[in-house]
Amino acid sequence: MDLTAGALRAVAARPHVLLVATPGGTAARLAAERRLRLDDLPLARTPAEADILLVAGPDRPGLRPAVDRLWQHLPAPRARAHAATPDAIGPALERCRTDLTRPSRVDAGHSSDGDGNGNGNHEGHKGHGDHHDHGGMEMPAGLPMAGTGPDRDGLELDQLHIALGPFLIDWPTGPTVRLTLQGDVIQRAELEEPGEQLGDGGDVPFWAEPWARAAEGERIGIGQAARRRAAAQLDSLGRLLAVAGWAGEATTARRLRDDLLDGAPGAALRPGVRRFARRVGRSRTLYWLTRGLGPLAGSRARAAGVGGPAARADGDVPARYRTWLADVVRDVDRLAETAPLPADEEGPRGRPAGGEWPSAALARLLPDLLEGAELAAARLIVASLDPDPDELAAAARGVTARD
Amino acid sequence: MTETASWWSLPAAPALLLTGAVLAVAGDALLAARDAGRPRTVAAAVRPLLEVVRLLAAQPRRMPAPDRLLWRSGVVTVPVAAVLSVLVVPFGHRAVADLSVGVVWFNAMEVLTWAGLWLAGWGPNAAFSLIGGYRFVAQGLAYELPLMFALISAATGAQSLRVGEIAEAQQGLWFAVWMPVAFVVYLAGVLAFSFLGPFGYPVGRDIASGVLGETSGVDRLLLQAGRWLWLTSGAAMAVPLFLGGGAGPGLPAWAWSALKTLLVLALLVWVLRRLPVLRADRYVELAWVVLVPLSILQALVPALVVLNR
Repeated sequence: MDLTAGALRAVAARPHVLLVATPGGTAARLAAERRLRLDDLPLARTPAEADILLVAGPDRPGLRPAVDRLWQHLPAPRARAHAATPDAIGPALERCRTDLTRPSRVDAGHSSDGDGNGNGNHEGHKGHGDHHDHGGMEMPAGLPMAGTGPDRDGLELDQLHIALGPFLIDWPTGPTVRLTLQGDVIQRAELEEPGEQLGDGGDVPFWAEPWARAAEGERIGIGQAARRRAAAQLDSLGRLLAVAGWAGEATTARRLRDDLLDGAPGAALRPGVRRFARRVGRSRTLYWLTRGLGPLAGSRARAAGVGGPAARADGDVPARYRTWLADVVRDVDRLAETAPLPADEEGPRGRPAGGEWPSAALARLLPDLLEGAELAAARLIVASLDPDPDELAAAARGVTARD
Repeated sequence: MTETASWWSLPAAPALLLTGAVLAVAGDALLAARDAGRPRTVAAAVRPLLEVVRLLAAQPRRMPAPDRLLWRSGVVTVPVAAVLSVLVVPFGHRAVADLSVGVVWFNAMEVLTWAGLWLAGWGPNAAFSLIGGYRFVAQGLAYELPLMFALISAATGAQSLRVGEIAEAQQGLWFAVWMPVAFVVYLAGVLAFSFLGPFGYPVGRDIASGVLGETSGVDRLLLQAGRWLWLTSGAAMAVPLFLGGGAGPGLPAWAWSALKTLLVLALLVWVLRRLPVLRADRYVELAWVVLVPLSILQALVPALVVLNR
């Protein structure tokens, strides 16, 4: 038959997938990432690169406009699906791939700036179109010129306004950090709270589940909790290594995470985990690239209500990833322990305090740590603290119910 | 003796370059499959080539108020410069054009990618794209000077800027052996002007692909192809500069050229996944404090040897 059908089949054979995990959707995201890894379907980093928009996790009405805007930026041929649960991921992907082979899906009239306001805002990488202090100067396309402001040396330099989030690859979905950049140095960072509409507050965060269930009186073994915590920290490490651009070890972290969640026995996991911890923990290159970034003294962290690895690390980005690595190695040794979880064991990000999950305090620390950093460093700092979007969305009710 | 090949080398050289790039992509796919725990099969190796059809089938994408002319010319410049660079690289004893200033030609084509990538970052009128563009300029400031001293070392050792004569000057002892610093700096330079692996800073994941972030369809295909063509071209150039060109026992010269190129290419592809991205703010420091002085000292060695000959 014709060329088009053949081309569309090629697209459907290896589509790039823009994976959007909604807050509370960690389990669905993990299923999707696992599936994409094993089927060799690349994760798209931007809408421009994607053929499929896959939303994983519960429907969040507050995020719908942002998801729709992402969809408008996908070039045709394209397909989208929403999978609320881990089981729905496989069928949703299959449906999308079938959709891609149908020539009718090529809606030729579509243009990628179809949102009509013409300011080119992609969620997650907003451009010059952000309407902050631009002095009312307008360009032909309706775009304001970049404004200027004094920099740290007292020079008048152009300012760029960029929003990190709510959707951005390897970014915790939900919180948005609005940055004012000069060059690539962050002059100002403001955290926009995701607000009530993101979560209904009822769900228990996936990573903190064993602790929440233990608090409700259920009998949870140490091994079971250690498995979840090690997987959570490997998930965080995978994100940090991906942001650091270390493709090989980021994939390894995610593969080990999936193996842990599949229930692989400790003896089978130990050599791989130790090799990974040694390679990453002893890498001089990674240390050289991250040392001195985002220093956070333990005392300051605790004063802000942060516990867990971020406070225990008592230092910069390398101190934090080494704490994670040490925790993972220790936890993998304890997978077989069946004694009940003691009350003083902390979850992957610490213990709930003051009626909130620990990630809320982590997120509040961000603006202070980001100001004055370079953009690349900022991404590394956020990834090294890694607030959990599930915990942020579940903030209010999930914890107060248990206090 | 290197000579200028006949007319058919004009299509043959780009075809060979493309073949090398395809092999590099396939090798990278196999390494990725190993990391991800997928079976390593021929199918796994060639799957990335589906990208070509996928990108050709994709709808062109428009951004609000782009600088279309500069964007397009930047995107086209990267692969075109890579193909032009290879014209002076001898395959066996034949080059498409054995220019008397071959090394300078190669270097000039490589510097063209600076302009290409900067324009490709500037064109779409998007913040992350722009940041990716100036990241490459920062990276260029770090890698270019050491790279030029590495090229000068090889040229000085042979007392010629003609690539064929540099290869012949290594009868007996490869430049890679007695100019190891220049060789390593050159290989790092190859990764840097291919903006792949540890030097993928301009297209970093932390800025959602930077220069590549807003490209789709043919534009993306050209930029991606440009990266792998540059990697292959850099590997091919390493052979006459540092590894004795087509010289070797038993096999014909063209076979030695091909074999050495593939070995260098394999080494480069292996390094891609083994290191995190080197941020320019840290790499500039290393480049200027350590690599520039080292490569100047390295250039001094062949200069003294040649003077005392």
